[in-house]
Amino acid sequence: MFRGAIAIFWRDLLVLRRSLFSELLAVIAYPLTLYLAFGIGLRGYIADVDGVPYALFIAPGLISMTAVSAAFNDSAWSVWFHRRVQRTIEEYRVTPITVYDIVIGKIFSGFAQGTIKGLAVALVIFMLTPFRFIPAHLLAYLPFIFLGSMIFSCVGTICGTMIDKPENIGRVEAVVIVPLIFMSGIFFPLSSYPKEAFAIISLLPTTAIFEGARQALLNGRVAPLSIVILLVTAVVAFAAAALTFNRKMSE
Amino acid sequence: MTSALEIDGLSKVYGTMRAVDAFSLRVQRGTIFGLLGPNGAGKTTLIRMLTTLLRPSTGSARIEGYDILSSARTVRSMIGVVPQDNNLDRYLTCRENLVLHARMYAMAPAEYNRRIDELLELIGLTNRQHDFPDTFSGGMQRRLVVARALVHQPRVLFLDEPTTGLDPQSRRAVWNYVQSLTPQMTIFLTTHYMDEADTLCDRIVIMDHGRALVDGTAAELKERLAHAHMYELEFSGGGERYEKLLRELPFVRNLQRTGNSFRLALAGEEFLKPLMDRIGGDDIRKICLKEPSLEDVFIELTGREVRE
Repeated sequence: MFRGAIAIFWRDLLVLRRSLFSELLAVIAYPLTLYLAFGIGLRGYIADVDGVPYALFIAPGLISMTAVSAAFNDSAWSVWFHRRVQRTIEEYRVTPITVYDIVIGKIFSGFAQGTIKGLAVALVIFMLTPFRFIPAHLLAYLPFIFLGSMIFSCVGTICGTMIDKPENIGRVEAVVIVPLIFMSGIFFPLSSYPKEAFAIISLLPTTAIFEGARQALLNGRVAPLSIVILLVTAVVAFAAAALTFNRKMSE
Repeated sequence: MTSALEIDGLSKVYGTMRAVDAFSLRVQRGTIFGLLGPNGAGKTTLIRMLTTLLRPSTGSARIEGYDILSSARTVRSMIGVVPQDNNLDRYLTCRENLVLHARMYAMAPAEYNRRIDELLELIGLTNRQHDFPDTFSGGMQRRLVVARALVHQPRVLFLDEPTTGLDPQSRRAVWNYVQSLTPQMTIFLTTHYMDEADTLCDRIVIMDHGRALVDGTAAELKERLAHAHMYELEFSGGGERYEKLLRELPFVRNLQRTGNSFRLALAGEEFLKPLMDRIGGDDIRKICLKEPSLEDVFIELTGREVRE
């Protein structure tokens, strides 16, 4: 059972291992630049947020953003590339594995990439800045990275399955993914939103990821509502990814 | 001898277009079967249905007794597929491509490593096993795709235009290899190359517009055109004039011209004299009866128009 998913996961980790250093270098550069620009560059202009220094306030969100972006990108481009360019999906499909093996393998690869890259950014921020988290809080933080990476990996799989033109994957990222991430309180507190908008924003899965991650990492608190939202979203996203992939393969 | 493939009335319909139309066939175990047809004849659609990639609209098929719909996974465990494109994983080395395939079949490492060593030796890529496919020639990539389809020792091997784009040496290497696989394996081959089908196949079906047109050995198919009285004519000059003249003759068919040489079929032996009367003997340098080739049969059945 799941031997196909394990084989595909093995393949993706083998490929990642070969390019790990260059991948990490590329993935760390963007959040680190944001951290230096906003956290360090603007710290003299921005007062503490809810009693937390601004650089520390944005750090958990940047780590989570790296993880979910990596999960989305890896899944979307990997599925698209294997389907449209290499056509290796077709090779997988004439073996005894099922389409569910393929989609599970790809989702777990995206999830693993997201988690590895998110933790790499956390390590770099930890090494380069004076801010320190209480190590015990990391345990509360991990579920948010895991579930966030899983959800975005499923969304990436759906995009890589449905979208045929590569430029459209970039458009989805620019129009849907990036706004969802930036609206969810990485750089400012959710209390900045008007009351009506706050009610909607607080129910977004991305808010559950970033706000939940911040509360977990800075205060060691796990918000049950955030976990419920993420669990439900992960289940729905997984079912949607499996269904979409299965239907596409039947065409 | 029992059948490795049994196809009964298999059809695939896209809107109003019937890509495969009530196709039926039996392929005996341990033989090389060739499916010929012009572009768009339905060959690849048929292979995609038989390899469980595409769901038939109607009809049924069994491979080694297993239904392609109700026992799709079992069918896939018994077949090997060499697609038209070299769909190798360019981020994995030659050996890793084969290992990934073996892992999909849940083969144990001891088993697949031995098998992969054998296959690499057989296809002459042992020294390149740690290189990436992008660094290989087209022929080497093709051999690797064939080897990949054989890692799990399938009982039926599907080859979809296996030598397209290869140089003559690589084509012959693939032919020799394919021939060495029988009678342990049944081979289902599609090709555009008539010489390939003539050399390799125990039995050939020519299909067009989704239907089988003729079925038999290469010799049997050529025999079908024996009545066609194929001739070769060569003139010392006036090729244009003779082409116009020949095209006007109602008993001349399948006229092909190369310079001052012509290849044509007569509607019957009795038309040889009227032909000679019309062309006269002044410019004739050669006239001879020609044995029909498989290509003549193919053109006769599927027409001369270029397909998209």
